[in-house]
Amino acid sequence: MLGQIKEHLERIKGAGATYVDARWYPFEQQNYLLMWNGNLKQNSSSRESGLGIRVLYNGAWGFSASSDLSSMGALFDKAFDNARLAAERVTFPVRLAEKDALQAKFTSPSNIDPFSVPLAEKVAFLRDMDEKLNQKGVFQRMSDMFFIRKHIVFADSEGSEIEKLITEVFASLQVTGLDSQGESHKREYRLARHGASTRGWESIERQRFSENAERIVKEMNQVLVADDCPKEDRSVILLPGIMYLQTHETIGHALELDRILGYELAYAGGSFVTLEDFGSLRYGSAKLSARADGSLPNSPGSFGYDDDGVACKNTVLIDKGILVGAITGRQMVEEANVKAKRTIFDGSGGCNRAASFYRAPIERMTNINIDPGEDGSLEDIVRITEKGIILDGDRSWSIGSNREQFHFGTEIGWLVEDGQITRVVRNPTYKGETLKFWNSLSKVGDESTWEVAYVDNCGKGQPNQVMQLGHGVPVCRFDNVRIGE
Amino acid sequence: MKDRIVHTLQELRRYALSKDCEVALSYHEEDSYLIRFANSAISLNTNEHLIRLEITAYADKRRASYALITNLDEIDEMKRGIDTAVDMAAHTQPLAYQPTIPLFSETFIDEDGYDPDLAQISNTRRLEYFNQAVRGLENDQIRLSGIFSSGANTLAMINTRSEHFQYFKTSDAQVTAVLSHERLKWEVSAEGSAQNVSELEPARLRSELRFLLERYQNDAAQQLPLGKYDIVFGPAATADMISFMNWIGFNGGLMKRGFSFLSEEQVGEKVFSAKFTLLDDPDRPETFPFKRDFTGMERRPFPLFQRGVFQGFVWSQDDADEFSAPPSGHTVSHKSLVLQGGEAPVSALEELVRMPRENDLLYIPFLHYMNIVNPSKGIITASSRFGALLLKKDGTVAIPYNVRLTQSLLDIFGDRMAWLSKSCVPYNTSQSYEKRNPTAVIVPVFMRVNDLEISHSNASY
Repeated sequence: MLGQIKEHLERIKGAGATYVDARWYPFEQQNYLLMWNGNLKQNSSSRESGLGIRVLYNGAWGFSASSDLSSMGALFDKAFDNARLAAERVTFPVRLAEKDALQAKFTSPSNIDPFSVPLAEKVAFLRDMDEKLNQKGVFQRMSDMFFIRKHIVFADSEGSEIEKLITEVFASLQVTGLDSQGESHKREYRLARHGASTRGWESIERQRFSENAERIVKEMNQVLVADDCPKEDRSVILLPGIMYLQTHETIGHALELDRILGYELAYAGGSFVTLEDFGSLRYGSAKLSARADGSLPNSPGSFGYDDDGVACKNTVLIDKGILVGAITGRQMVEEANVKAKRTIFDGSGGCNRAASFYRAPIERMTNINIDPGEDGSLEDIVRITEKGIILDGDRSWSIGSNREQFHFGTEIGWLVEDGQITRVVRNPTYKGETLKFWNSLSKVGDESTWEVAYVDNCGKGQPNQVMQLGHGVPVCRFDNVRIGE
Repeated sequence: MKDRIVHTLQELRRYALSKDCEVALSYHEEDSYLIRFANSAISLNTNEHLIRLEITAYADKRRASYALITNLDEIDEMKRGIDTAVDMAAHTQPLAYQPTIPLFSETFIDEDGYDPDLAQISNTRRLEYFNQAVRGLENDQIRLSGIFSSGANTLAMINTRSEHFQYFKTSDAQVTAVLSHERLKWEVSAEGSAQNVSELEPARLRSELRFLLERYQNDAAQQLPLGKYDIVFGPAATADMISFMNWIGFNGGLMKRGFSFLSEEQVGEKVFSAKFTLLDDPDRPETFPFKRDFTGMERRPFPLFQRGVFQGFVWSQDDADEFSAPPSGHTVSHKSLVLQGGEAPVSALEELVRMPRENDLLYIPFLHYMNIVNPSKGIITASSRFGALLLKKDGTVAIPYNVRLTQSLLDIFGDRMAWLSKSCVPYNTSQSYEKRNPTAVIVPVFMRVNDLEISHSNASY
């Protein structure tokens, strides 16, 4: 198969294309199990294979994909035709940053292939969790598992040949209860990763899930009898269960270079960040350092090599509050440097990814992490907080089209008064403006508070692509934030 | 092609019967084309031809599904898929209720929504459409973004309970054209939806874009003070809010799970404004309708709200099985929602701007990134985008920076509703996640709601 692909790469290149690449998926398997109130509502698996072709011609992209490889030549020709048509409307001819032509392999760290685990064992785990969640006050209980295993072979006209075998495991528990007014309140636990863990079936640790099942039931029941969140300004202390989403929405998406350059304007939106901002914009307080780290071993945001054939990197995005980097691929860094009339980006950041063989790669987050700080544990931060609220769990999120402002709802809030946690509140929300919010970052928890949360459903692009990625985040405190609206 | 698809499904059915298995087979084929524009260029020109087969196997109360992307030559692979699904069902946990296996009492074929001219519209014609829609409107600062998404969608289904099958084939196009100011970062848009090629209207898009551009280039921009406004929503905003009621409104299964602002006690009660009449109407071709649901049930116009009175919940077959409710013909991948128009004789933005008004009106055509803050209270939040206008009572127009609304649908569609325009349009709500699934909601061109709170107001574009 690879031999045929390489022949066509050469043929299309010889016919005048600037660049051609192919992503062949010998297979991508998925398995999803959902137990809802004791019923195994979903027990579904899938398998797909196919080929996606990308052709660059006269500064424009064409793409074509099919699961039918019996007429591979026609598929390459179609992608080439699509590029020829696109070349009729070019304003900034696509150029690709230099890269090494790599011959490489990547396998995500996994001890036990989740697809080798018998269905009965998976169902038994879910049944066990369902029983643990089936407690007083719980109206709805859900436990689920999602497994992905994909084999990707990448080749391009510059001589790259990269093979990847990626395994991902996701799992969560959720309970919902009804308060005295009949309003529903949920509490959720999602598999997060700590320390030097791996990404296979072994990452679903029964003990950890059991403890968290007990915890979320207890906390949900506390919410059911709690008062509403007050409407006022407070310090908000974000636990990783919401800190990851704050980072995702207002640092991650805001710093995707294709958004900054206007490539998502008709759909996902733009960014308040401009090319002039790199190197000078005070994005956050001096306590904020953020990075796009594709080298974390235990996260779905690490994949070895991106779909441009560039090795994953660990790129600083924000250095002690100053914006210095972005989430980048080969095309966008060239365009940004030319438009900025200076070299902002020294090559691709290795972040160009496609969600499947039938989608074209675009800039996607890897692991957008916040570096741990020196303000100690959660308890240490609470102890020095005069009037605050601890927030955890994502309930709703909505962000302005240029990522300039946001509104988040969380599952639970604990009010803090004079260094003490006083009581739980229900329906907590907070809102803010991105730059003002990050500049109000006053405390950053240490390594003990840092964990890698995953996102298995990040949507972007047209046609839409759902991507998996991660966020390593500590507990953080932000001051003078509006809550309760 | 239809014969080949049906023949393949029948062969797979025979295979399952030969193994004494209970299976339902669902075939999905898409031929998708999408040109994406950004920075006044074509940023991506793509097509995908994909065939998916989803196999659901049943063993009394046990159920499992296996899906594969395949092609019609791979009959052995499909048979192996059946084996896999059957094996999964055999080893899974039984449900607490009896799942219904569809029984098609007759073969049903619907190709009324398929227009080969639209399904196979050429690259050149799609580019020409866009060139016409924005002719003379772009310059060094005003840049074009958008999509022209078109294609054909084929669904076919059969199961071991009968030899009859269902077959649906549609064509569709979704067009979005955005003109944005490169430096100032404002954006205006115009959109289109088509089920056949005659519904493509580049001249209408150009007219709408030209009007908004003129306003955005000539009228003063301002930050709106926080507070209450009388808001006129455009079709995109209204359709988005209506679509959210699929989740937190009239969905019976989600209501039973505590995820709705409506309750069973409210059936027959007045919930919304008397101006609000919403139905699921599969007789409207603009909505890419299913006239049978995926269990074979005939779909007829289904009233959801009649003059504000809630008529009842919709039930998919699986929810109906679990909660012992009557299935309502809603085992479909999308409904055909129609919000009926009102009496206001205004059908275009120019007319709205010219209308005499007793106080300021905030026009919000599009709501960006809507999410559910509190499902039990129907509270949603979202920001304005794509061409909002402040229509001042003195007849002048200002350009408001984007604002955020956090409000209950009960308020928006309740007694604060002032009027709906008589004229209605289909608004294309298709998403291209996963399988192609063209959808549209028919809504009044404008909907005015008074006294809605703006909870955040941007200080710039």
